[in-house]
Amino acid sequence: MINYKILARHYRFLLFLFLLSITGSEQILASDLLAKTRSTKAEALAFLEKIDQTKETSLWPNVKPKLFYDNLKLNLEDPGTFYPGRSTYFCGYGALSYLVMEKDPLGYVKFMNELYDKGAATFHTTHFKPSAAVVQAAGTLKFKGVLDIRHAEQVWFLVLADHYKGYLNFFNKKFQEGDENSFWASTNLSKFVNMVNKLCNVHVSAVGSDLIKPWVKDVYSYLEKRIDSTTISLYINNRIIHKKNHDKIKFSIPTHYIILRQISRQGDVITLRYWDYGGETEMQISNRTLKKIIFGIITIDK
Amino acid sequence: MIRSLSFFSVIILFLAASCSTKMISNKYYQEQKGTVDSIESRYEKLNAKKPFALAFTDKKLNIVSIEMISDTLTRIYEFNPGEKRLADSLLKYNYDTSGVNYLIRKMQQTKVTWINSVDYYVNDQPQQLIYLSIKPVTFRYLFSPPQYLALGYFRTAQAFDEKGRLLDNRRTKRVRKIKGQVFYRITDRICYTITEKYR
Repeated sequence: MINYKILARHYRFLLFLFLLSITGSEQILASDLLAKTRSTKAEALAFLEKIDQTKETSLWPNVKPKLFYDNLKLNLEDPGTFYPGRSTYFCGYGALSYLVMEKDPLGYVKFMNELYDKGAATFHTTHFKPSAAVVQAAGTLKFKGVLDIRHAEQVWFLVLADHYKGYLNFFNKKFQEGDENSFWASTNLSKFVNMVNKLCNVHVSAVGSDLIKPWVKDVYSYLEKRIDSTTISLYINNRIIHKKNHDKIKFSIPTHYIILRQISRQGDVITLRYWDYGGETEMQISNRTLKKIIFGIITIDK
Repeated sequence: MIRSLSFFSVIILFLAASCSTKMISNKYYQEQKGTVDSIESRYEKLNAKKPFALAFTDKKLNIVSIEMISDTLTRIYEFNPGEKRLADSLLKYNYDTSGVNYLIRKMQQTKVTWINSVDYYVNDQPQQLIYLSIKPVTFRYLFSPPQYLALGYFRTAQAFDEKGRLLDNRRTKRVRKIKGQVFYRITDRICYTITEKYR
Protein backbone atom coordinates (compact mmCIF):
# COMPACT_ATOMS: atom_id res chain seq x y z
CA MET A 1 0.00 0.00 0.00
CA ILE A 2 1.47 3.37 -0.94
CA ASN A 3 1.63 5.73 1.97
CA TYR A 4 -0.14 8.68 0.37
CA LYS A 5 -0.06 10.58 3.65
CA ILE A 6 3.71 10.86 3.45
CA LEU A 7 3.60 11.79 -0.23
CA ALA A 8 0.93 14.40 0.43
CA ARG A 9 2.94 15.87 3.25
CA HIS A 10 6.00 16.38 1.08
CA TYR A 11 4.56 16.94 -2.37
CA ARG A 12 5.19 20.67 -2.44
CA PHE A 13 8.78 20.16 -1.44
CA LEU A 14 9.24 17.40 -4.00
CA LEU A 15 7.71 19.60 -6.67
CA PHE A 16 10.16 22.34 -5.84
CA LEU A 17 13.09 19.99 -5.92
CA PHE A 18 11.95 18.80 -9.32
CA LEU A 19 11.72 22.35 -10.63
CA LEU A 20 15.08 23.15 -9.15
CA SER A 21 16.69 20.16 -10.78
CA ILE A 22 15.77 21.63 -14.17
CA THR A 23 17.90 24.66 -13.46
CA GLY A 24 20.94 22.46 -12.89
CA SER A 25 24.09 23.15 -10.96
CA GLU A 26 24.80 26.76 -10.35
CA GLN A 27 27.80 28.78 -9.42
CA ILE A 28 27.10 31.64 -7.10
CA LEU A 29 29.46 34.49 -6.72
CA ALA A 30 28.50 37.17 -4.29
CA SER A 31 30.70 40.13 -3.69
CA ASP A 32 30.06 43.13 -1.55
CA LEU A 33 31.10 46.60 -2.50
CA LEU A 34 30.60 47.97 0.99
CA ALA A 35 33.53 48.67 3.25
CA LYS A 36 34.39 45.71 5.45
CA THR A 37 33.18 46.10 9.02
CA ARG A 38 35.35 44.51 11.64
CA SER A 39 35.32 44.66 15.40
CA THR A 40 36.84 42.76 18.27
CA LYS A 41 35.52 40.72 21.15
CA ALA A 42 37.04 43.18 23.63
CA GLU A 43 35.13 46.10 22.05
CA ALA A 44 31.92 44.10 22.17
CA LEU A 45 32.38 43.10 25.82
CA ALA A 46 33.17 46.70 26.77
CA PHE A 47 29.93 47.81 25.07
CA LEU A 48 27.95 45.12 26.86
CA GLU A 49 29.32 46.07 30.28
CA LYS A 50 27.94 49.60 29.93
CA ILE A 51 24.38 48.37 29.30
CA ASP A 52 21.79 48.08 32.06
CA GLN A 53 21.28 44.33 31.89
CA THR A 54 18.30 44.24 34.23
CA LYS A 55 15.96 46.38 32.13
CA GLU A 56 12.65 44.76 31.32
CA THR A 57 10.74 45.34 28.12
CA SER A 58 7.14 44.82 27.12
CA LEU A 59 8.24 44.56 23.48
CA TRP A 60 9.47 41.00 24.08
CA PRO A 61 6.92 39.65 26.58
CA ASN A 62 8.53 36.23 27.06
CA VAL A 63 12.18 37.19 27.02
CA LYS A 64 13.84 37.34 30.44
CA PRO A 65 16.45 40.12 30.71
CA LYS A 66 18.89 38.02 32.71
CA LEU A 67 18.74 35.09 30.29
CA PHE A 68 19.00 37.51 27.35
CA TYR A 69 22.06 39.41 28.55
CA ASP A 70 23.80 36.36 30.07
CA ASN A 71 23.40 34.75 26.68
CA LEU A 72 24.87 37.76 24.86
CA LYS A 73 27.88 37.64 27.19
CA LEU A 74 28.34 33.93 26.51
CA ASN A 75 28.08 34.55 22.74
CA LEU A 76 30.90 37.07 23.00
CA GLU A 77 33.11 35.12 25.37
CA ASP A 78 32.70 31.83 23.55
CA PRO A 79 31.15 32.24 20.08
CA GLY A 80 31.47 28.51 19.46
CA THR A 81 28.65 27.87 21.92
CA PHE A 82 25.90 29.17 19.59
CA TYR A 83 23.31 26.41 19.68
CA PRO A 84 20.54 26.32 17.05
CA GLY A 85 18.48 23.87 19.09
CA ARG A 86 17.50 20.24 18.90
CA SER A 87 15.19 19.24 16.01
CA THR A 88 14.96 22.77 14.61
CA TYR A 89 15.66 23.99 11.07
CA PHE A 90 17.97 26.70 12.42
CA CYS A 91 21.31 25.10 11.42
CA GLY A 92 21.87 27.63 8.60
CA TYR A 93 21.49 30.50 11.04
CA GLY A 94 23.80 28.67 13.45
CA ALA A 95 26.58 28.57 10.83
CA LEU A 96 25.83 32.20 9.98
CA SER A 97 26.16 33.16 13.66
CA TYR A 98 29.59 31.59 13.79
CA LEU A 99 30.68 33.73 10.83
CA VAL A 100 29.10 36.93 12.18
CA MET A 101 30.87 36.51 15.51
CA GLU A 102 34.13 35.96 13.69
CA LYS A 103 33.78 39.25 11.79
CA ASP A 104 31.79 41.70 13.86
CA PRO A 105 30.91 40.80 17.47
CA LEU A 106 30.36 44.47 18.35
CA GLY A 107 27.89 44.83 15.47
CA TYR A 108 26.07 41.75 16.77
CA VAL A 109 25.76 42.92 20.36
CA LYS A 110 24.71 46.46 19.34
CA PHE A 111 22.10 45.02 17.01
CA MET A 112 20.71 42.67 19.65
CA ASN A 113 20.55 45.41 22.26
CA GLU A 114 18.71 47.74 19.88
CA LEU A 115 16.36 44.97 18.89
CA TYR A 116 15.62 44.30 22.57
CA ASP A 117 15.06 48.00 23.33
CA LYS A 118 13.09 49.06 20.26
CA GLY A 119 11.66 45.88 18.78
CA ALA A 120 13.43 46.62 15.49
CA ALA A 121 17.04 47.22 14.49
CA THR A 122 19.48 47.51 11.62
CA PHE A 123 22.47 45.25 11.11
CA HIS A 124 24.91 46.89 8.70
CA THR A 125 22.46 47.85 5.94
CA THR A 126 19.64 45.41 6.65
CA HIS A 127 16.67 46.51 8.72
CA PHE A 128 14.88 43.86 10.79
CA LYS A 129 11.33 44.35 12.05
CA PRO A 130 10.11 41.01 13.40
CA SER A 131 6.49 39.95 13.08
CA ALA A 132 4.20 39.91 16.14
CA ALA A 133 4.14 36.09 16.13
CA VAL A 134 7.93 35.88 16.30
CA VAL A 135 8.11 38.49 19.07
CA GLN A 136 5.60 36.43 21.03
CA ALA A 137 7.48 33.16 20.43
CA ALA A 138 10.93 34.37 21.50
CA GLY A 139 11.64 33.04 24.97
CA THR A 140 9.06 30.27 24.73
CA LEU A 141 10.94 27.67 22.64
CA LYS A 142 11.06 24.51 24.74
CA PHE A 143 12.77 21.15 24.64
CA LYS A 144 15.46 22.39 22.28
CA GLY A 145 18.33 21.62 24.65
CA VAL A 146 20.23 24.57 26.03
CA LEU A 147 18.47 26.90 23.56
CA ASP A 148 15.57 26.77 26.05
CA ILE A 149 17.42 29.14 28.36
CA ARG A 150 19.29 31.13 25.71
CA HIS A 151 16.85 33.92 25.09
CA ALA A 152 19.18 36.05 22.95
CA GLU A 153 19.78 33.15 20.57
CA GLN A 154 16.03 32.47 20.40
CA VAL A 155 15.47 36.11 19.39
CA TRP A 156 18.37 36.05 16.90
CA PHE A 157 17.38 32.81 15.13
CA LEU A 158 13.68 33.66 15.00
CA VAL A 159 14.32 37.18 13.68
CA LEU A 160 16.69 35.92 10.99
CA ALA A 161 14.26 33.21 9.89
CA ASP A 162 11.41 35.72 9.88
CA HIS A 163 13.32 38.19 7.72
CA TYR A 164 15.18 36.11 5.15
CA LYS A 165 13.05 34.08 2.77
CA GLY A 166 14.04 31.67 0.03
CA TYR A 167 12.02 29.39 -2.18
CA LEU A 168 11.94 26.70 0.51
CA ASN A 169 9.93 29.09 2.68
CA PHE A 170 7.50 29.96 -0.13
CA PHE A 171 4.52 28.04 1.25
CA ASN A 172 5.14 28.82 4.88
CA LYS A 173 6.11 32.43 5.35
CA LYS A 174 4.14 33.32 8.47
CA PHE A 175 5.37 31.95 11.75
CA GLN A 176 3.07 29.72 13.74
CA GLU A 177 3.86 27.81 16.93
CA GLY A 178 6.28 24.97 16.17
CA ASP A 179 7.49 26.47 12.88
CA GLU A 180 11.06 26.50 14.13
CA ASN A 181 10.90 22.79 13.24
CA SER A 182 9.45 23.34 9.77
CA PHE A 183 10.26 24.72 6.32
CA TRP A 184 9.43 28.18 7.67
CA ALA A 185 12.97 28.18 9.11
CA SER A 186 14.85 26.33 6.38
CA THR A 187 17.67 27.83 4.34
CA ASN A 188 18.57 27.07 0.74
CA LEU A 189 22.09 27.71 -0.54
CA SER A 190 21.55 31.05 -2.27
CA LYS A 191 19.69 32.38 0.77
CA PHE A 192 22.61 31.33 2.96
CA VAL A 193 25.14 33.04 0.69
CA ASN A 194 22.97 36.18 0.64
CA MET A 195 22.71 36.22 4.45
CA VAL A 196 26.46 35.77 4.91
CA ASN A 197 27.16 38.47 2.37
CA LYS A 198 24.79 40.95 3.99
CA LEU A 199 25.62 40.29 7.64
CA CYS A 200 29.35 39.61 7.43
CA ASN A 201 30.11 42.27 4.85
CA VAL A 202 32.81 40.19 3.20
CA HIS A 203 33.38 38.52 -0.13
CA VAL A 204 31.56 35.18 -0.28
CA SER A 205 31.71 32.64 -3.07
CA ALA A 206 30.05 29.29 -3.42
CA VAL A 207 30.02 26.27 -5.66
CA GLY A 208 27.22 23.74 -5.77
CA SER A 209 23.45 23.97 -5.53
CA ASP A 210 20.45 22.69 -3.61
CA LEU A 211 20.19 19.58 -5.71
CA ILE A 212 23.30 19.04 -7.77
CA LYS A 213 26.71 18.56 -6.23
CA PRO A 214 29.54 20.98 -7.03
CA TRP A 215 31.51 20.31 -10.18
CA VAL A 216 34.76 19.88 -8.38
CA LYS A 217 37.11 17.15 -9.54
CA ASP A 218 38.79 16.44 -6.22
CA VAL A 219 36.71 17.71 -3.31
CA TYR A 220 39.38 16.95 -0.71
CA SER A 221 42.08 18.94 -2.55
CA TYR A 222 39.63 21.78 -3.18
CA LEU A 223 38.91 22.08 0.55
CA GLU A 224 42.48 21.54 1.69
CA LYS A 225 43.73 24.26 -0.64
CA ARG A 226 41.32 26.85 0.78
CA ILE A 227 40.96 25.99 4.45
CA ASP A 228 43.90 28.07 5.70
CA SER A 229 43.16 31.21 3.71
CA THR A 230 39.34 31.30 4.00
CA THR A 231 36.56 30.21 6.31
CA ILE A 232 34.68 27.32 4.74
CA SER A 233 31.06 26.44 5.30
CA LEU A 234 29.69 23.22 3.83
CA TYR A 235 26.12 22.49 2.81
CA ILE A 236 25.82 18.75 3.35
CA ASN A 237 23.47 15.82 3.34
CA ASN A 238 23.66 15.05 7.04
CA ARG A 239 21.36 12.03 6.70
CA ILE A 240 24.25 9.98 5.31
CA ILE A 241 26.75 10.61 8.09
CA HIS A 242 24.18 11.06 10.83
CA LYS A 243 21.58 8.44 9.95
CA LYS A 244 18.15 8.75 11.47
CA ASN A 245 16.60 5.58 10.12
CA HIS A 246 17.78 2.33 8.57
CA ASP A 247 16.36 2.83 5.10
CA LYS A 248 18.91 2.24 2.40
CA ILE A 249 17.19 4.49 -0.11
CA LYS A 250 17.46 8.10 0.92
CA PHE A 251 16.72 11.37 -0.82
CA SER A 252 19.97 12.81 -2.02
CA ILE A 253 19.42 16.33 -0.76
CA PRO A 254 21.38 18.65 1.49
CA THR A 255 20.00 19.10 4.99
CA HIS A 256 22.61 20.81 7.12
CA TYR A 257 25.21 23.60 7.30
CA ILE A 258 28.53 23.18 9.06
CA ILE A 259 31.73 25.19 9.44
CA LEU A 260 34.76 23.17 8.39
CA ARG A 261 37.58 23.58 10.91
CA GLN A 262 40.14 20.96 9.82
CA ILE A 263 40.51 18.31 7.17
CA SER A 264 43.21 15.68 6.77
CA ARG A 265 43.66 12.44 4.83
CA GLN A 266 45.38 9.16 5.59
CA GLY A 267 44.97 6.64 2.81
CA ASP A 268 41.27 6.62 1.96
CA VAL A 269 40.25 7.82 5.41
CA ILE A 270 39.43 11.51 5.64
CA THR A 271 39.21 13.07 9.08
CA LEU A 272 36.84 16.01 9.25
CA ARG A 273 36.61 18.37 12.15
CA TYR A 274 33.68 20.72 11.94
CA TRP A 275 31.61 23.10 14.01
CA ASP A 276 27.86 22.86 14.38
CA TYR A 277 25.35 22.91 17.25
CA GLY A 278 27.53 24.67 19.78
CA GLY A 279 30.63 22.52 19.51
CA GLU A 280 33.17 20.75 17.36
CA THR A 281 32.80 17.24 16.02
CA GLU A 282 35.44 14.97 14.57
CA MET A 283 34.58 12.10 12.29
CA GLN A 284 36.22 9.83 9.78
CA ILE A 285 34.73 9.18 6.37
CA SER A 286 35.87 7.84 3.03
CA ASN A 287 36.67 10.02 0.02
CA ARG A 288 33.55 8.63 -1.68
CA THR A 289 31.34 9.64 1.24
CA LEU A 290 32.87 13.12 1.31
CA LYS A 291 31.94 13.59 -2.34
CA LYS A 292 28.50 12.13 -1.71
CA ILE A 293 27.53 14.41 1.17
CA ILE A 294 28.68 17.81 -0.10
CA PHE A 295 26.21 19.92 -2.11
CA GLY A 296 27.64 23.35 -1.47
CA ILE A 297 31.05 24.73 -0.60
CA ILE A 298 30.88 28.30 0.62
CA THR A 299 34.16 30.14 1.05
CA ILE A 300 34.23 33.32 3.08
CA ASP A 301 37.14 35.75 3.16
CA LYS A 302 38.91 35.81 6.50
CA MET B 1 -11.32 -10.66 -11.58
CA ILE B 2 -13.91 -9.40 -9.08
CA ARG B 3 -13.00 -12.28 -6.77
CA SER B 4 -9.29 -11.31 -6.92
CA LEU B 5 -10.09 -7.69 -6.27
CA SER B 6 -12.23 -8.62 -3.29
CA PHE B 7 -9.50 -10.86 -1.96
CA PHE B 8 -6.88 -8.09 -2.17
CA SER B 9 -9.28 -5.55 -0.68
CA VAL B 10 -9.87 -7.82 2.31
CA ILE B 11 -6.13 -8.34 2.75
CA ILE B 12 -5.43 -4.59 2.54
CA LEU B 13 -8.23 -3.82 4.99
CA PHE B 14 -6.95 -6.47 7.34
CA LEU B 15 -3.40 -5.11 7.20
CA ALA B 16 -4.56 -1.55 7.61
CA ALA B 17 -6.69 -2.41 10.59
CA SER B 18 -4.40 -4.82 12.34
CA CYS B 19 -2.50 -3.87 15.48
CA SER B 20 -2.42 -0.20 16.30
CA THR B 21 0.94 1.39 17.09
CA LYS B 22 0.00 1.62 20.74
CA MET B 23 -0.56 -2.11 20.97
CA ILE B 24 2.82 -2.81 19.34
CA SER B 25 4.70 -0.48 21.61
CA ASN B 26 3.10 -1.52 24.86
CA LYS B 27 3.46 -5.15 24.01
CA TYR B 28 7.10 -4.86 23.04
CA TYR B 29 8.02 -2.83 26.09
CA GLN B 30 6.17 -5.17 28.48
CA GLU B 31 7.86 -8.21 26.91
CA GLN B 32 11.36 -6.71 27.10
CA LYS B 33 10.82 -4.52 30.17
CA GLY B 34 13.54 -6.08 32.35
CA THR B 35 16.26 -5.95 29.71
CA VAL B 36 15.35 -2.50 28.36
CA ASP B 37 15.22 -1.01 31.86
CA SER B 38 18.58 -2.56 32.72
CA ILE B 39 20.11 -1.11 29.52
CA GLU B 40 18.82 2.30 30.53
CA SER B 41 20.16 2.10 34.08
CA ARG B 42 23.54 0.74 32.95
CA TYR B 43 23.82 3.53 30.38
CA GLU B 44 22.90 6.14 32.97
CA LYS B 45 25.76 5.03 35.22
CA LEU B 46 28.35 4.84 32.43
CA ASN B 47 27.25 8.13 30.91
CA ALA B 48 27.52 9.92 34.25
CA LYS B 49 31.22 8.97 34.40
CA LYS B 50 32.01 10.01 30.82
CA PRO B 51 29.30 11.09 28.36
CA PHE B 52 28.68 9.14 25.19
CA ALA B 53 25.89 7.98 22.87
CA LEU B 54 25.48 4.75 20.92
CA ALA B 55 23.67 4.05 17.66
CA PHE B 56 23.38 1.07 15.36
CA THR B 57 23.54 2.54 11.88
CA ASP B 58 22.73 -0.53 9.80
CA LYS B 59 19.62 -2.65 9.54
CA LYS B 60 21.20 -5.80 10.96
CA LEU B 61 22.67 -3.91 13.91
CA ASN B 62 26.22 -4.91 13.01
CA ILE B 63 27.73 -1.43 12.85
CA VAL B 64 27.84 0.63 16.00
CA SER B 65 28.45 4.35 15.94
CA ILE B 66 29.81 5.76 19.15
CA GLU B 67 29.78 9.45 20.01
CA MET B 68 32.46 10.19 22.58
CA ILE B 69 31.56 13.50 24.09
CA SER B 70 33.91 15.88 25.87
CA ASP B 71 33.60 19.58 26.72
CA THR B 72 35.49 20.65 23.63
CA LEU B 73 34.95 17.92 21.07
CA THR B 74 32.59 15.12 20.08
CA ARG B 75 34.29 12.24 18.32
CA ILE B 76 32.07 10.03 16.16
CA TYR B 77 33.47 6.69 15.05
CA GLU B 78 31.93 3.56 13.59
CA PHE B 79 32.96 0.02 14.47
CA ASN B 80 31.85 -3.56 14.29
CA PRO B 81 30.99 -4.68 17.83
CA GLY B 82 33.86 -6.76 19.17
CA GLU B 83 36.36 -5.12 16.85
CA LYS B 84 39.73 -4.41 18.48
CA ARG B 85 39.71 -0.79 17.27
CA LEU B 86 36.58 -0.20 19.37
CA ALA B 87 38.25 -1.39 22.58
CA ASP B 88 41.40 0.58 21.75
CA SER B 89 39.42 3.77 21.21
CA LEU B 90 37.40 3.34 24.39
CA LEU B 91 40.61 2.79 26.32
CA LYS B 92 42.33 5.74 24.69
CA TYR B 93 39.56 8.13 25.69
CA ASN B 94 39.16 6.68 29.22
CA TYR B 95 35.82 4.91 28.85
CA ASP B 96 34.82 1.84 30.84
CA THR B 97 35.68 -0.60 28.04
CA SER B 98 33.97 -3.70 29.42
CA GLY B 99 30.92 -1.72 30.56
CA VAL B 100 30.39 -0.11 27.14
CA ASN B 101 31.03 -3.40 25.33
CA TYR B 102 28.46 -5.15 27.52
CA LEU B 103 25.97 -2.39 26.81
CA ILE B 104 26.55 -2.69 23.05
CA ARG B 105 25.92 -6.46 23.18
CA LYS B 106 22.73 -6.01 25.22
CA MET B 107 21.48 -3.32 22.85
CA GLN B 108 22.18 -5.54 19.86
CA GLN B 109 20.26 -8.45 21.43
CA THR B 110 17.28 -6.29 22.39
CA LYS B 111 17.27 -4.31 19.11
CA VAL B 112 17.90 -1.02 20.84
CA THR B 113 19.14 1.17 17.99
CA TRP B 114 20.04 4.38 19.84
CA ILE B 115 20.66 5.54 23.37
CA ASN B 116 21.67 8.96 24.58
CA SER B 117 21.10 11.52 27.27
CA VAL B 118 18.90 14.52 26.42
CA ASP B 119 19.04 17.76 28.36
CA TYR B 120 15.98 19.90 29.00
CA TYR B 121 15.05 22.73 31.33
CA VAL B 122 12.44 23.18 34.03
CA ASN B 123 12.23 26.65 35.61
CA ASP B 124 15.50 27.42 33.82
CA GLN B 125 17.24 24.56 35.64
CA PRO B 126 18.90 21.73 33.67
CA GLN B 127 17.35 18.26 33.79
CA GLN B 128 18.19 15.09 31.92
CA LEU B 129 16.30 12.21 30.47
CA ILE B 130 17.57 9.05 28.84
CA TYR B 131 16.24 8.56 25.34
CA LEU B 132 16.40 5.18 23.67
CA SER B 133 14.79 3.76 20.59
CA ILE B 134 13.99 0.19 19.62
CA LYS B 135 13.41 -1.39 16.24
CA PRO B 136 10.88 -4.14 16.86
CA VAL B 137 10.28 -6.56 14.02
CA THR B 138 6.96 -5.42 12.61
CA PHE B 139 5.10 -5.55 9.36
CA ARG B 140 5.79 -2.59 7.11
CA TYR B 141 3.60 -1.23 4.33
CA LEU B 142 5.14 -0.60 0.94
CA PHE B 143 6.70 2.91 0.79
CA SER B 144 5.78 3.57 4.40
CA PRO B 145 8.52 4.92 6.64
CA PRO B 146 10.19 2.67 9.22
CA GLN B 147 8.78 2.77 12.72
CA TYR B 148 10.70 2.84 15.94
CA LEU B 149 9.54 2.67 19.49
CA ALA B 150 11.17 5.54 21.38
CA LEU B 151 11.27 5.57 25.16
CA GLY B 152 11.98 8.50 27.43
CA TYR B 153 13.18 7.79 30.97
CA PHE B 154 12.79 10.81 33.22
CA ARG B 155 14.43 11.03 36.65
CA THR B 156 11.32 12.38 38.32
CA ALA B 157 7.57 11.81 37.96
CA GLN B 158 6.02 13.70 35.05
CA ALA B 159 2.60 15.18 34.39
CA PHE B 160 0.26 13.55 31.85
CA ASP B 161 -3.20 14.53 30.67
CA GLU B 162 -6.29 12.30 30.64
CA LYS B 163 -5.23 10.90 27.25
CA GLY B 164 -1.88 9.88 28.73
CA ARG B 165 0.04 12.57 26.82
CA LEU B 166 3.20 13.99 28.38
CA LEU B 167 2.70 17.58 29.56
CA ASP B 168 5.10 20.45 30.14
CA ASN B 169 3.86 20.66 33.71
CA ARG B 170 0.67 20.24 35.69
CA ARG B 171 -0.31 23.91 35.58
CA THR B 172 0.00 24.79 31.87
CA LYS B 173 -1.49 21.59 30.44
CA ARG B 174 0.65 22.24 27.37
CA VAL B 175 1.59 19.00 25.60
CA ARG B 176 5.34 18.57 25.64
CA LYS B 177 6.98 17.37 22.47
CA ILE B 178 10.36 15.67 22.40
CA LYS B 179 12.00 15.85 18.97
CA GLY B 180 8.67 16.98 17.61
CA GLN B 181 6.81 13.93 18.94
CA VAL B 182 4.02 13.59 21.49
CA PHE B 183 4.91 11.02 24.15
CA TYR B 184 2.47 8.76 26.03
CA ARG B 185 2.53 7.43 29.55
CA ILE B 186 3.89 4.01 30.46
CA THR B 187 4.67 4.82 34.08
CA ASP B 188 4.86 8.22 35.80
CA ARG B 189 8.57 8.34 34.88
CA ILE B 190 8.67 6.46 31.56
CA CYS B 191 6.88 7.41 28.35
CA TYR B 192 6.93 6.30 24.74
CA THR B 193 6.14 7.29 21.20
CA ILE B 194 6.21 5.72 17.76
CA THR B 195 8.55 7.57 15.45
CA GLU B 196 10.01 7.36 11.96
CA LYS B 197 13.48 8.27 13.19
CA TYR B 198 15.50 6.45 15.76
CA ARG B 199 17.35 9.60 16.83
